[in-house]
Amino acid sequence: MVRRGAWAALAVVALLMMLPALPALAQDAAREPAYRAFPLIGSRLAVWAVAQLHLNFAAFILGVPIFAVIIEIIGWRTGDARYDWLSHEFVKLTFAAFSTTALLGAFLLFLFVGYYPKFWTYMTSIFFPTYWVYALLFFAETFTVYVWYYGWDWLSGPRKGIHVALGVLSNLFGTAILLVANSWVTFMISPAGIDESGALKGSVWAAINNFTWMPINIHRLIANIVFGGTIAAAYAAFRFLGAKTDEERARYDWMGYIGNFVALSAFIVLPFAGYYLGREIYAFNQTMGITMMGGFMSWLWIIQAILIGVLFLGSNYYLWLGMERIPGSERYRRYVPMMIGILAFGFMVWATPRSMVITLDEARAMGGTHHPVLGFLGVMSAKNTAVNMMILTTFVSFVLYRRANRISTRPWVGTGMVVQWAVLGLAAAVVVFYGVYGYFVESLVRIGFSVYQVLAVLAAIVVVMAIDIPLFKGARSTGTIRWGTIAPRSQYVLILLAVTFTWLMGLMGFARSGIRQHWHVYGVMRDNSVDAVTPAIGYAANMITTVTIVFFALVMFIFWLGGLGEKGKVGESGHAAAPILAGGSDAESAGTASTGESRGGQSRTGESEASSAGESRGGRSRTGESEASSAGESRGGRSPLLP
Amino acid sequence: MRLPVGVKVGAFALAVMGTYTYYANSIPQIQSKPPAELSLEGGNVTPAQLVKAGEEIFKTKGTCEICHRIGQKGTRAPDLAGVGGRAGKVKPGLSAKQYIIESLLQPGAYLVEGYPNIMPQVDKPPIALNRSEVWALTAFLESLSGTVDVTLDDIPKTAGAPAGGGAATELKLPGDPKAGEAIFTGKGACIACHKAGKVGASPVGPDLSQIAKIQTPDYVMRKILDPAGAGTVAGFPKGVMPPTFGQTLTAKEYVDLVAFLMTLK
Repeated sequence: MVRRGAWAALAVVALLMMLPALPALAQDAAREPAYRAFPLIGSRLAVWAVAQLHLNFAAFILGVPIFAVIIEIIGWRTGDARYDWLSHEFVKLTFAAFSTTALLGAFLLFLFVGYYPKFWTYMTSIFFPTYWVYALLFFAETFTVYVWYYGWDWLSGPRKGIHVALGVLSNLFGTAILLVANSWVTFMISPAGIDESGALKGSVWAAINNFTWMPINIHRLIANIVFGGTIAAAYAAFRFLGAKTDEERARYDWMGYIGNFVALSAFIVLPFAGYYLGREIYAFNQTMGITMMGGFMSWLWIIQAILIGVLFLGSNYYLWLGMERIPGSERYRRYVPMMIGILAFGFMVWATPRSMVITLDEARAMGGTHHPVLGFLGVMSAKNTAVNMMILTTFVSFVLYRRANRISTRPWVGTGMVVQWAVLGLAAAVVVFYGVYGYFVESLVRIGFSVYQVLAVLAAIVVVMAIDIPLFKGARSTGTIRWGTIAPRSQYVLILLAVTFTWLMGLMGFARSGIRQHWHVYGVMRDNSVDAVTPAIGYAANMITTVTIVFFALVMFIFWLGGLGEKGKVGESGHAAAPILAGGSDAESAGTASTGESRGGQSRTGESEASSAGESRGGRSRTGESEASSAGESRGGRSPLLP
Repeated sequence: MRLPVGVKVGAFALAVMGTYTYYANSIPQIQSKPPAELSLEGGNVTPAQLVKAGEEIFKTKGTCEICHRIGQKGTRAPDLAGVGGRAGKVKPGLSAKQYIIESLLQPGAYLVEGYPNIMPQVDKPPIALNRSEVWALTAFLESLSGTVDVTLDDIPKTAGAPAGGGAATELKLPGDPKAGEAIFTGKGACIACHKAGKVGASPVGPDLSQIAKIQTPDYVMRKILDPAGAGTVAGFPKGVMPPTFGQTLTAKEYVDLVAFLMTLK
């Protein structure tokens, strides 16, 4: 750990040393050629590879702490040590990748300064003040994360609140770093605050707050959470598949479930953020928007649709497989074929293009550039309807999973469920109604309809959950979740989701960069290098795959390194010990050990009450779910959403 | 023999990525190439050559086809079939060429009913057509059921953005323009074919008196070293300019010559 810390510190120092040198470098650059050639692969590929790797790692280390701190808060408030362990486990993964992210960032900076000096000079002329902010934030985040991670034991017990606050603070710093870096990249897409010659007109804020800055902030923030969730789930899946004991399998099954839950929760709102970003691109420049959706990039969105379809289908399939380890879930299996049908149809609609680049013969054979029937499925009305229905279906999958082993004992259960289904049905009706109505109105009106569709879906999710939580509080259990007994193929689904989302991130990075075409800064600074051609999708895919392979290889190596430090120290590091979950063959005896281990940890933190009551009962006594204690540990201290 | 988990997971991940990559390579492959610069100034161009160049711009650098069709009604922009014939009747007081030029340079000045004001100015970035290109494009649009009568003088002198995109890419060339002028008239023998302001008068090659206004330093540098590769200005014979300046001029002479040419505005 100390060695990793030293690497991170070295990277930060290197970055800071670069900062004072930048103006001088910029002056030198003015006398130098606009471009230099990176050996063998060329400058573009070098920047592409390092930028994609850096963004992958950065997304991971920014996304995971967001939900890690939420999980820590859940563990803190419920007293359930499992969540504290899980949160620590997630932060451990992040921590291992922290220094690699910093080193890649420094490497990327060197590439820009060395191989694109003119471009970097120009960016510096606009954004130099933000470099200092970035560096300071980086320092602040680094030290906060260090104290958060290393202070896990020190700031436990009565000081847990301070520890949680550190987690929140590190997330705020991390998000602020994201916002600063996004200002640079979005300025390249939609420059603002400059005059016709490209010089800054007034405050740098105008350049920061350009058309695509806020949409990309939102989109990336959500996507980072999804990405972090999928990688953490894939890590758990890997550990599950290699587990030697049932106990270990149960632990990583649960971890994988939580990772996927986090990813899925954030994923269902991601398309809305994407539409917001697309709308702002059109608002900035119609030509850019049209080029992006209907020009040379039109096929890219077909691939994107396929990847998103895989993500939806995979996430749902994982939930359905997961229900097999929940006694009592059999009663919900009859809904699965219908859900598969909706998801598959939505998938096909979303993957149907409106128009595409085709040969004259193909156009003649089809009767025009649009297919006479399928062409109608290619427009925004159909796609909005499809994605909203897919989101609703995924939400239903989750709701069914959540209540799989629970039978509500509330007297108003019938009414509650009727209202829930009515709300879902109403939302679906609103989505379909506006989807069909959209064909009969002007495009500007049609765009407005998507807002109603989104609001209907979000409102349905909120209302159904608002009913579901009290409805199943203190519910009768039909059995304990048998963690660790899930089919191994489910773990490959988690890996599929992680690989697909990582690949999708690479593809979207290409789209974001490619829409600038032959401009470094769109409409302001032209790309006059030998690499000014924006490559075709096949070339991009080869590159994305290569970098993704490197990313996963590095991740595996870093996680392996991280695991080395933990070997033989379970329970001694002071943070909550690895929990024993129901479902393992030796769950009963292990439960005692777990309590004992937890006690060991907690006694140091002063939570004597919790330790004497046992970890799960301590949680329940605070939440008032005393009747749940008989249902076994899986329900003990249960958060309203997470099992 | 049981395969290690790492191998199985790795193979699975590779298979997934391989599938995506294979699919991406199986669909139509379209690159987006940077548009080439066209310069017609100083050249004797026939209307037919002009129309042909304009059609090329319409389909490539101008990106007009993203919204406009010829012979097909668009949802974003009007059908341009027959625009040359009707342009003179759209706005009182404007001839066909004047209306077309106004539509290209100030698209919001007059909107065809039913269409939004979304067209960008074609002489501004990111389309950034230069004056020659606006001329050729106007000629092409006139040719659609109309008479091609537009001349370069009809295009406002202010039309056309520097291709480099303004100050951001403006080069402060290290060469000495005075020494460069000497190369132009002396060792380089450029004066044998080109006019450059008050220097020279030969009509063999294009008049370079305003070359810095219409071309980028990159283009000029490339043109000196690789005359054929950089393209020949319409109306002038190909292969006349010697491709040997890279060998005959020293680095300093080359830089000085470029610095001189970039003073010609």
